[in-house]
Parts: sequence; structure tokens; C-alpha cells
Amino acid sequence: MIADYIIPSLPLLLVAGTSVVVMLAVAVRRNHSVAFGLTLLGLAASFCSAFFVPVRQLGILLTVDRYGLFFIGLIAAAAMAVAVLAHGYLAEREGNKEEFYILLLVATLGAMVLACSSHFVSLFLGLEVLSIGLYSLIGYLRERPLPVEAGIKYLVLAASSSAFLLFGIALVYADLGTMEFSRIAQLAASGTNLHYDLLLPGVALILTGIGFKLALAPFHMWTPDIYQGAPAPVTAFVATISKGGMFALLLRYFSQSRLDLFSPVLVVFSIIAIASMFAGNLLALFENNVKRILAYSSIAHMGYVLVALEVGGQAGAGAVIFYLVAYFIMTLGAFAVVTVLSPRERDADQIDDYRGLFWRRPWLALGFTAMLLSLAGIPLTVGFFGKFYIIAAGAATGAWALILILVITSTIGLFYYLRVVVALFQKQTETEAAAPTRRRTAPAAALVLSVLTLVLIWLGVFPSPLLRIIQAAIHTLL
Amino acid sequence: MSGPMEAAFYVAAAVAVVSTLLAISRLVAVHALLYLIVSFLSVAVVFYTMGAPLVATLEVIIYAGAILVLFLFVVMMLNLGTRDRDQERQWFSGAAWLGPAILSAILLAEVIYLIVSGATTGGLSATVGPKEVALALYGPYMIGVELASMLLLGAVVGATHLSKQEARP
Repeated sequence: MIADYIIPSLPLLLVAGTSVVVMLAVAVRRNHSVAFGLTLLGLAASFCSAFFVPVRQLGILLTVDRYGLFFIGLIAAAAMAVAVLAHGYLAEREGNKEEFYILLLVATLGAMVLACSSHFVSLFLGLEVLSIGLYSLIGYLRERPLPVEAGIKYLVLAASSSAFLLFGIALVYADLGTMEFSRIAQLAASGTNLHYDLLLPGVALILTGIGFKLALAPFHMWTPDIYQGAPAPVTAFVATISKGGMFALLLRYFSQSRLDLFSPVLVVFSIIAIASMFAGNLLALFENNVKRILAYSSIAHMGYVLVALEVGGQAGAGAVIFYLVAYFIMTLGAFAVVTVLSPRERDADQIDDYRGLFWRRPWLALGFTAMLLSLAGIPLTVGFFGKFYIIAAGAATGAWALILILVITSTIGLFYYLRVVVALFQKQTETEAAAPTRRRTAPAAALVLSVLTLVLIWLGVFPSPLLRIIQAAIHTLL
Repeated sequence: MSGPMEAAFYVAAAVAVVSTLLAISRLVAVHALLYLIVSFLSVAVVFYTMGAPLVATLEVIIYAGAILVLFLFVVMMLNLGTRDRDQERQWFSGAAWLGPAILSAILLAEVIYLIVSGATTGGLSATVGPKEVALALYGPYMIGVELASMLLLGAVVGATHLSKQEARP
């Protein structure tokens, strides 16, 4: 029991246990720093345990393999960054602060379960644990209109997308009589008792549910509103951990259920990827709200990753994971800057908030510039190598149309990233210079931002160590 | 599925659709809840006709029973006050109770007919009892049960935070 279940699931148990410990600590005595410290400790323990936990199948629901552990580590690290950002952010705002960390831990657990699940039951439960945490996190500042509106929007849309997902799972189960990813591939390959009129709609509905969570193009309408309305650290969480966990699941589902053998699925993936790349990059062009720009850009980035997923094989899966790591780093960094700059009464989401930032707070502006250039895919940043590996993997299999569209839309995307960068370096007018905006960045947030910037440049110059880890991770997957 | 069971399935499904539509289109919350109860009851009958009596029972006990009675209590408690009695008289005056009553009567007649006629449950090959469900839940799906408990923890903490009344100065 202990060796079979407890030890392999240690990274998950530590996060779940920490949420209970934080809740009990809050019940005894409310203290923001204690709740924050416990959260950070639990996430750090989970992160470390992911390195030495034995690889094992837990029952039929969870597969703790190198691949799952890699994403658990990534999610735990990102959750630590979000917790640090939230600590400074919440300290300046009204209301209770401690519940935030409980909800953060619960939602993080959901994302980790997604990364390990190899069965529809754990897929759905993980998704719901993640979503339930997110509803309350998005509307956490419950006396402000925008977060509450965003929370309700997310609740309605996520609940209906869960219905799509469940119905799809039911159809696949009705056809094949199994909910395990790998059994689906076996049964579909054997071809007996197969009704494509049940299986394909089922897969389509499942992809709808997953596509909603990832904000891929026809299902992306919620993204800008929720990004804008949610508190900045929560937006960082939605953008990275929620989408990362879901993409980890999609890659596992795609490879273990051998969805690449269904040609209609591949056609649908191409359409979704192309639509996401165009929609994200074009919609961002005329936006003046930085959070909404980042929302649209995240739609486009998910489209890029989907191209790599569709290419498939070792190279494709490697490119997916590398791009997701890059996306985590640069998105967390960008939202870290938004969080740090946000004044007490609102989030700093207008492009005017960033005008002339370089002349007021040069280090912050340089960090933001690095993140934006990486999102645009400029060399010497990790974002460049992310796109490079996708294009290399695509070229190897001859997916030229998708690559061409990726290159075209990335070029369009350059425009709106550079628009923000230009604003950062504009000479400020006299009225702005007179405004008393000089605030100090909290040391912890500054540390997170500098670490993210250094990793961004380090991996942008020297990506091979990460590549080796990724190779080992996908070895167990394929 | 064949014969009376199939007919019963379609009748119960129709009642489910009608009562759900009425539930979301009512203007008074209590009236909507009455239709929602009927909706859950009809889904229970649907499960029964599909050959899943255990799920049907759970649907009645948990949804139509526990959860909705809680809803009703809360909705009624929120309206406590001076105009409380008038309001309740208004709620249950006239034809407000008639619709849910008719729909429930249809379901009741259906269940009685099915029991009396001894129609066999179709659809699923074997009837699943409580023991099999319990063994599955605490066997291969144990992690799922644990995850559901974490889901409830998150929901409770979130609901407490979002609905808490701060002491106003």
C-alpha cells in the first residue's frame, strides 16, 4: 500500500495535504504570511519530490511516469511563482487573504492530476477540481465588479464545456466500453464492434471540452474577458497552469489513444490550429488593454503548440513540451510585471500605464521587454527556440501549410508586441513625470521576475539541458 | 428496450424536458424549484427504465431529496420578514402548484404501471447493485473518491469566501 500508492503519489499528496494544513491554520489563527509560507513550503516539497518519486501506474486512474512528473514539477514551480506574486498583490487589497492559498493549492492539484491522468474519470475529476478552484479564484476580489463578472462568466462557460466533455466521454464509452486511453487505442486498432458514428462525435465533443479550457479558436470567446477581469496573479494561473495541465493531458490522450490514426481528427486539429493562430494574432492588433493583448496572444500560442502536437512523433511531442515550458516562463514573467505595476484600486492593464516605464523603473521595463520579445519569438530568448523546434518538427514531416501559416501569423504578432515595447521606451511627458508613481517592487516579486528573465535568456542561448530532460520524459509516453 | 419500458422512457424523458424548460423560465424562484424537483424525479424514472434502479434511487435521495430541500429552505429563509406571510400565500395561490403536480402525477402513474405490470428493465445487460458500486468505488476508483473530496474542499472554501458577510463598520 505505502510503496504502491503513497510514495508514487507523493507530489500530489503533498499539495492536497498542504491545502488542508493551510485551512486548519486559518481556522486556528488568520495570518497572511503563515498561510503564504505554508503554501510555498508545500509546493516546494511537491516540486522536490517529483525528482525522486518512483515511476508507477496508480490503479487505473493515474499514471505517474517521467512525463507526468515533469509536468508536475513545472506546475509546482509555476504555482510557487503565482503564490509569490499573489502575496504582494493581496497584501495591498481588501478582504480575507488566506483562502486564496487554499484555493490555489486545490486548483494546482487539479492541474497536476490532469498531467498524470490516463483515464477519462481522472481527466474529468482533475478538470473539475481545477475549475472549482478557478471559479472562486477569478472572482476572489468579490467587492469589485470586474472580477465577479469574470468569475460568473467562467462558471457558466466552463460548466457548459464540462457538459460537452462528459457527453463525449459517454459516447466513447458507449461505443468501446472502456475509459482508459490506451485501451481505446487497442480497441480502435482491432476494429471490431466499432461504430464510427458514435466514436467520432464522442471524440469531437471531448476535443470541444478540451479546446475550451485551452482557449483554442472557435472556443476562445471567454479568454479576453476573463484575463481582463481576473486579478493579475490569477490571470497568470489561468494562462499557465490551467492551460499547461490541460495540454499535458491532451498530448497524453492524443498519443496513447492514437488519435493520429483518425484522419478526421487531424483535419479538425489543423482547422483549429489555423483558426487559433489567425484569430489570436489578428484580434490583438487593435487592442489597447495589455491583459487582453496577452489573452489574444495566448490563443495564438496555443495554436502554435497544436501545430507541434499534430506533427506528432518524437520531434513533435518534444516541441510541444519545450514550447509549453517557454510559454510558462514568458507568460508568468509578463503577468509578474502586470501584477507588480498594478495600483491598489485596479490592475495596470492599459497600455498607457506602461508608457515611459523604462525611464521610471528601468529593470522592470527591461524584464517586460525580454518577456515580450520572447513571446514574439526573437532570437536569444526561449520563445525563439520554442518556435524553432516546432518549425523543425513540422518541416521533417512536410507539414508546410501549417508552418507557413505559423510564420505569417507570428510576423503579424510581432506588431502588437513591439507596440507595447515601444510604449515602454517612450520619453514620458511632463505630466507623467510629475505623477508620484514611484513605488518599490516587493523583493520577492523582484526575485521571481529576475529568475524568470535569467531562465528565459539562459534557455534561449543554451537549450540543450532542457531538451535532454524532455527527451527522457517523452520516452515513456511514446 | 421494448414495449412498455420504451414507452415509459419516452414519457419520462418528455416530462424531464418540459419540467426543465419550465424551471428555467419561471420568474418566482420557489416555482422554478418545484419544477426542478419534478425534473430530477423524471430523470430518476428515465434511469429506472434504462435498467439502473440504484442510480434512480440515488437521484431521488440525493438530488430531489437532500439538495433541493436545502435549496427550498434557503430560498424561503431569505424572504423572512414582515411581508413573509403574504409572499408565501401568493406563491402557493392559484395554479402555481398545478403544473408540478400534474407532471409528478404522470411520473407516479408511470412508475405504478411499471411495477404492477412487471415489465422487465431493458437497456443494460445486468442490474448493478449497491455492493458492486461500493466495491468499484473503494477498489479501482479509490483515487477518484479522494479527488472528489478535494473537489468538495475547494468548493466549500470558495463558497465560504464568496458569500461571507463582512462586519460593516
